[in-house]
Amino acid sequence: MLRVFGFLAAFPLLLMPLAVGQEPVKPPLNPRIVTATRQVSMFSALEKQMLEAVRKKDKAALQAMLTDETFINLPDADPLPGDDWVESVMSKDFSLKSFVVRQVNVTDLGTAAVVGYDRIQDSTDKGKQDGGEFYVVDVWKKDGDTWKLADRYVCKVGSTPVLPTGPVRPTGKQ
Amino acid sequence: MALAQRRVRNAAVILFMFLTASFLMAQSLRSGEDKAPDGKHGQSGQTLTAAGPIGQTVVQGNGINYHTGGTVLKASPVPIYIIWYGNWNGGAKPSDSQATVSLIQGFLSSSSLGGSGYEAINTTYGDTTGNVSGHLNFSGAVFDNYSQGTRFGDRNLTTIVSTHAGHGLPLDASGVYLVLTSSDVKESSGFCRTYCGFHTHATIGGADIKYAFVGNVDQCPAGCEIQSTGPNSPSTGVGGADGMTNTITHETEEAITDPDLNAWFDASGNEDADKCNFKFGPTKTAANGAKFNQTFGGHNWMIQMEWENSRGGGCDQTLGGPFFTN
Repeated sequence: MLRVFGFLAAFPLLLMPLAVGQEPVKPPLNPRIVTATRQVSMFSALEKQMLEAVRKKDKAALQAMLTDETFINLPDADPLPGDDWVESVMSKDFSLKSFVVRQVNVTDLGTAAVVGYDRIQDSTDKGKQDGGEFYVVDVWKKDGDTWKLADRYVCKVGSTPVLPTGPVRPTGKQ
Repeated sequence: MALAQRRVRNAAVILFMFLTASFLMAQSLRSGEDKAPDGKHGQSGQTLTAAGPIGQTVVQGNGINYHTGGTVLKASPVPIYIIWYGNWNGGAKPSDSQATVSLIQGFLSSSSLGGSGYEAINTTYGDTTGNVSGHLNFSGAVFDNYSQGTRFGDRNLTTIVSTHAGHGLPLDASGVYLVLTSSDVKESSGFCRTYCGFHTHATIGGADIKYAFVGNVDQCPAGCEIQSTGPNSPSTGVGGADGMTNTITHETEEAITDPDLNAWFDASGNEDADKCNFKFGPTKTAANGAKFNQTFGGHNWMIQMEWENSRGGGCDQTLGGPFFTN
């Protein structure tokens, strides 16, 4: 009996190393809400404008945002000419239902800018789910007073689109 | 034999209890992590309150929403404390100067921004116990001579705040602390590259302390200044102080209406000032050629508009004024 009581008394002590070990596993990421730079604000708007053109099947608007030599670059594939890409996303087979652009970063090089961001999209191709999470790097080229997409490098990083359905906690990185 | 069996049984019982306790502890830890803000997109797990009055006068459905459990800062005025970090006395850029210090401290006084019709826009926000007062006031400052060096990250920023809150400055959960850095200081988490400033909060000395980072925007005029010569520039091309007032306005508005990052934001995660970022409305031209859109405290200012949470919602320059889209 004494042994049982002894064990019960010692039981919390047995757990102590475990608790201490778990507590500092990973310091929490410091949440913050940022004031985006002018470039981040502007290119976030441009990227969303381009995605809206795809969603609404607005071919003229999409073409107006590309240079004559735009290429879409994907892993394990030849570069896709901009015109072919426009045709593919304008076809009836492809449907972009919704999207989220986040974590936008911009390197402004004067007449060009490199824009990286995460994109989550809900889309179908020939009726099959085609959405997911993508990491995109776009090279934009200044053309007079406007910017045009010169090159896109895109890689799928997740297959399941998990689009926020309710209010999202602000990150300031949208 | 019986003794050996009993030992094995006891060992099994101990092992079972140990594993059960470990499992339960892990579950509670995960639950805690889910509730804590993580700075990432995704469902917050919070619930929107139904449209209708909140507190005294605040309503939902104006393009921005109150989220249950969130609180706002309601002090009248909200104290603003400044930590001047780096060299503000003849630093690398002409705007790293005592003139900037005087201008910004004056800008934040109750007779300037703190009592303006612009600041009153914040009275359209509240929580379940009342509304924002619409008043703020500069309430103290300290200088920090590079205690964390010329390059630091977010964690060092918290250290800077904890060094001075309660030591030189009051420890005040009802106020907002601004860490303003001179132009030679790099905030490595993205200042000038992705952001011009940010606000957040942390537990310091047992209090929930709200603070913001704003760097001297002369480090990246193209990214964070609307014009290189501001209405208060001492000479042509010295726009840092005016540029900083714009970012300071953004951060203080948000730190008051969403101090713990869980009260007021829209479906895209944008807080009130985010919805009008770099949108200024109609402007006038000062004698030095700089544009401005506000006049108070004896100065002209060029500061972004603010999202008014009434009349359907929109960006305006003063409470009840006309809405502008740019």
